Amino acid sequence: MSKTPQKTYLYKFHVQKGRMEVFAGFEMPMWYKGIIPEHLAVRNNVGIFDVTHMGRMLVSGPEAEAFLNYITTNDVSALTPLSAHYSTMCNEHGGIKDDFVLSRLEEEKFLMVYNAGNRSKDYDWVVNQSRSFDVTTKDVSDNIAMFAVQGPKAEQTLQEISSQNLGEIKRFKCGWTELAGATSFVSRTGYTGEDGFEVFVWDTPLTSPEKAVEVWNEILKAGKEFGIEPCGLGARDTLRLEAGMCLYGNDIDEDITPLEAGLGFVVKLQKEDFIGKNSLVKQKTEGIKKKRVGVRMLEKGVPRSRYEVWKNKDKIGVVTSGTVSPILECGIAMAYVPTEHATEGEEVAVEIRDRFVKGKIVKFPFYDPTKYGYQRKT
Amino acid sequence: MKIGGYEIPEGLYYSKEHEWVLIKGDRVIVGITDYAQKALHEIVYVELPLVGSKVKQMRTMGTVESVKAVSEIFAPISGKVVETNQNLVENPELLNGHPYTDGWIAKIQPTNLDRELKSLMNAQEYAEYISKLEE
Repeated sequence: MSKTPQKTYLYKFHVQKGRMEVFAGFEMPMWYKGIIPEHLAVRNNVGIFDVTHMGRMLVSGPEAEAFLNYITTNDVSALTPLSAHYSTMCNEHGGIKDDFVLSRLEEEKFLMVYNAGNRSKDYDWVVNQSRSFDVTTKDVSDNIAMFAVQGPKAEQTLQEISSQNLGEIKRFKCGWTELAGATSFVSRTGYTGEDGFEVFVWDTPLTSPEKAVEVWNEILKAGKEFGIEPCGLGARDTLRLEAGMCLYGNDIDEDITPLEAGLGFVVKLQKEDFIGKNSLVKQKTEGIKKKRVGVRMLEKGVPRSRYEVWKNKDKIGVVTSGTVSPILECGIAMAYVPTEHATEGEEVAVEIRDRFVKGKIVKFPFYDPTKYGYQRKT
Repeated sequence: MKIGGYEIPEGLYYSKEHEWVLIKGDRVIVGITDYAQKALHEIVYVELPLVGSKVKQMRTMGTVESVKAVSEIFAPISGKVVETNQNLVENPELLNGHPYTDGWIAKIQPTNLDRELKSLMNAQEYAEYISKLEE
């Protein structure tokens, strides 16, 4: 971590327009206009994020499916070409090594997109596990630019510069297109709870950023009529939190299993064998002791990571992420509490400095999914 | 005066923790500076000192929070809190919009004003101080 921070293709843009901070070894924009206006742009219109700091690797070969089924918890066999799913990799104890999105490009070729902070850990782990399989792994993090275009106007924005009809790509599907003339892979996925795409500008080495910068600028131009905002990591964090999505290192890590984290939907225990399966089967049979829940504050106060959660006179858990929700205009948090307290509607208190601030346990997402997010009705 | 995009009104006293002090008769009004509010950005929550409580110079008297971070407000002057700006409870963004006027934080009855003023900076000194921080 003491190395000089890395820069993405958009470094010049970020420095000119944004407030910079080092995140996971990268110089990244925290915000441009501000976290709240950027957050609202994504919920109401569209926003674009530079997420080139994330890790990306290609896994290919005749045994790619078998190998990925062995190291990940979700069912890779169910993934048809040009589909994507969310998944986790676990250690032998069922603790989460990382969470990521896996896209199947072809029958024998996959793209894995994982957390910036786990770039080298994940790549080393995957390479080490792959030795007895007929697969090839390739770290393409510095050869493919990655942007997220998120919000109800994301499709309309990208369509203006896309050679392919993006309406044909449904949620968690992917496809190839040209964006402003640049060959790009797009998946209808994201980390905001909103509809939107993650855009991979193919064959763009970090050393010649021109093509990536042009696609970014063209997206901004195309989205202008829809109120697009460039968004920093600040809004990315408040958006994913409102949507109830985990941040690795905060809400999940190697000491937490996907079952405890409420990610059981990406753990397919009927699969033949995979790393961590025995531990997860055992935990499933015995029942989990703690669980990740949402806490919505009923009184003024902003819950933050590591604040304690109390029930009556007992300390029952710890906040792993917290902020003030720009949509709900109150404090929201994720916390781990014993299963017996993980009931929707249960009143708890979060200790904020010397005060006990009332909150209640709620389900994810924090917002009303009929009004916000990709399932919105209006 | 304005230095590097930061307002620094003349006639106020400034602390190294970016609070300001305005002397008004036998009381002082205190708040946070333009530099402080710009560094915090988007203030969403303010915890004010209790009226009647005693505060000590350069000890915590409250908290301001932005979306991302928590920051303490230090008392720039010791004394008894006689009034706090209740508008900040519902409208914490006043601290961003008007740090030196509508965004004032508290009025204090000072106990050791003359001596404590010596440890604060005037506008000129504070301007030099923040331009060094910006380097």
